Amino acid sequence: MNVKDELARATMGEHGEEGRKMRRDLPPRPAHEGLGEVPGDSGAVVSVQHLRKTYPGDVEALKGVSFEVQEGEIFGMLGPNGAGKTTTMGILTTTVRPSSGSAVVAGHDVVREALAVRQAIGVAFQESVLDNDFSGLDNLRLHARLWRVPRVEADQRIAGLLEAMELTERARDGVRTLSGGMRRRLEIARALLSNPRVLFLDEPTLGLDPAVRQGIWESIEALRLRSRITVVLSTHYLEEAERVCDRVAIIHQGRIVALDTPKALLKSLGEEAVELKVEDDPATVLPVLAGLGLNGSPPLVMGKTITIPLTDGPTQAPSLMDRIRGQGIAARAMGIRRTTLNDAFLRLTGAGVDGEDGQLGGNQ
Amino acid sequence: MIRTASTIRTASLGTFTLYKRRLAVATKTASGIAGTMTLPVLWVLIIAPALASALGGFNPSIDYFTYVVVAQVALIVPFTSMFSGINVIVDKEFGILREFLVAPVFRASIPLANALAVLTIALVQVALIVGLGTARGAEFNTSPTGVLWFLAAVALLSLTTYAVAEFLALAVGRQEAFGPLIPAVGVTPWFLAGSLFPLNVLPPGVEQVALASPWTHALAVMRYGLMENTDPGLANIWHMNSELLMAALSLGVLMLMTLGALTLAVWVFNRKTMA
Repeated sequence: MNVKDELARATMGEHGEEGRKMRRDLPPRPAHEGLGEVPGDSGAVVSVQHLRKTYPGDVEALKGVSFEVQEGEIFGMLGPNGAGKTTTMGILTTTVRPSSGSAVVAGHDVVREALAVRQAIGVAFQESVLDNDFSGLDNLRLHARLWRVPRVEADQRIAGLLEAMELTERARDGVRTLSGGMRRRLEIARALLSNPRVLFLDEPTLGLDPAVRQGIWESIEALRLRSRITVVLSTHYLEEAERVCDRVAIIHQGRIVALDTPKALLKSLGEEAVELKVEDDPATVLPVLAGLGLNGSPPLVMGKTITIPLTDGPTQAPSLMDRIRGQGIAARAMGIRRTTLNDAFLRLTGAGVDGEDGQLGGNQ
Repeated sequence: MIRTASTIRTASLGTFTLYKRRLAVATKTASGIAGTMTLPVLWVLIIAPALASALGGFNPSIDYFTYVVVAQVALIVPFTSMFSGINVIVDKEFGILREFLVAPVFRASIPLANALAVLTIALVQVALIVGLGTARGAEFNTSPTGVLWFLAAVALLSLTTYAVAEFLALAVGRQEAFGPLIPAVGVTPWFLAGSLFPLNVLPPGVEQVALASPWTHALAVMRYGLMENTDPGLANIWHMNSELLMAALSLGVLMLMTLGALTLAVWVFNRKTMA
């Protein structure tokens, strides 16, 4: 049985094959194309309206954030440190009090019905949050008791989740002895244990090596395939969000600056781009590029790399590269690549997701 | 009605789960268990007899060994409470507190469960002290009612001092800053509470300070329970004739202090754990 099947079994609880069939028979997940508009009906399992949070010292972390997440959706919140992602997560998981606005999770208001919200959610935090005095198994059992999962069901689910996360052999070891990747997998298993309606993952792969990150995203994708669980996650790794998320909200300085499917965001930018690494100051190169009559989005600049999105890459790219060469621009490298959410992020915020300042060429 | 029953069930189940976890943390290591038992054993077997032998006592009607054995209860209970404040900081800074904060339990259950776990540990220590004291020749003059008075005072002192520990731990936030507070806050008041000598030999002014301390009232009630009609501790506080009335007054003061301290601790807990 592979990881995806194990995870599916583990997250189906006592329903077994019947549950599996039930999930297979579910209607297809809604495709939220367009401009990120989600029907305001109550299919939304997470609904956030005009959310504001001001911390002491007049630090405005959120400046009126609104969005909805549909049942079964994987929703990504993207942004650099300080953008407001963790504050939003904190409000939705009832650990941060909003200054104004409202948030409803699984039909319950996060302020007035915090207990009911907490019963309906699972959370994997950005930092490791495990009971270090105990084993992984003990941590899972404690969670099951806190969420009041019946003993027999809890044991079955724990066994399935440990198997799915490839932790069975280390389950009785103290969590202090586990690697960072194992601890993170254990935390995700724990968050899934109560069969939550909404799973919150705050930077689920931060600080992990690529192989472990890959495994964790596979687990999340397995959830998407087999379960109607709703996932709200935040991540710095935009390419990973692009792969796994149905929709993403790009948050910048406490505001959502874009909310759409990754595909739609990339389409609005141009799906392919010419990337140019220059020797000189990019500022001296941009006027030359402007003179070439680019008809796509304005170039994006990050360090000494200039990215020129193209509306029709296969047609435009070869001739554009020829024209660039013809201008005698000192380039270390030039090539064609697909645009990514990193580019969209830079376009929308003027900064890289790691906080590095970028700049935009052309008229913005 | 159903809603109320559900609320009570949620509160009690959550508190019980967190209580068991806290006890498990406390008894996880042999050093933890030994650490909580060493001082009571040392006190009853060596220090109390030595004090009784060296000082002899201040009142011929009081067995001084018994007097300081009961005093040990009022020392170890707050000390255990204060020491457990470190766990509050560890849970907050390095551990599991965030998981508890998103669990479907009332937030107040978290400090209350900790307080009850500390009380349980304190009761085990108290049983050890009384048992060893009896074996070593302490002359307890008590009754079932007296034992209840004693246990009530132990419980209230434990809950009050735990609440103080929780408050201080959350207020200072760091182990390095909290460590020095353990003896300062957890032990110093004991010296002024009539532990080794009666209150009336304290300098004026200091005696008034001692009267505002939960240690003083708790110790007087403990001795009322275990040393019936021999210890003048309650009379030194209230200057009345009825031992029962004075004990009730001191217990009432303790209850108010406990209620106030727990309310403050839960309030601070909510403030410090909710942004």
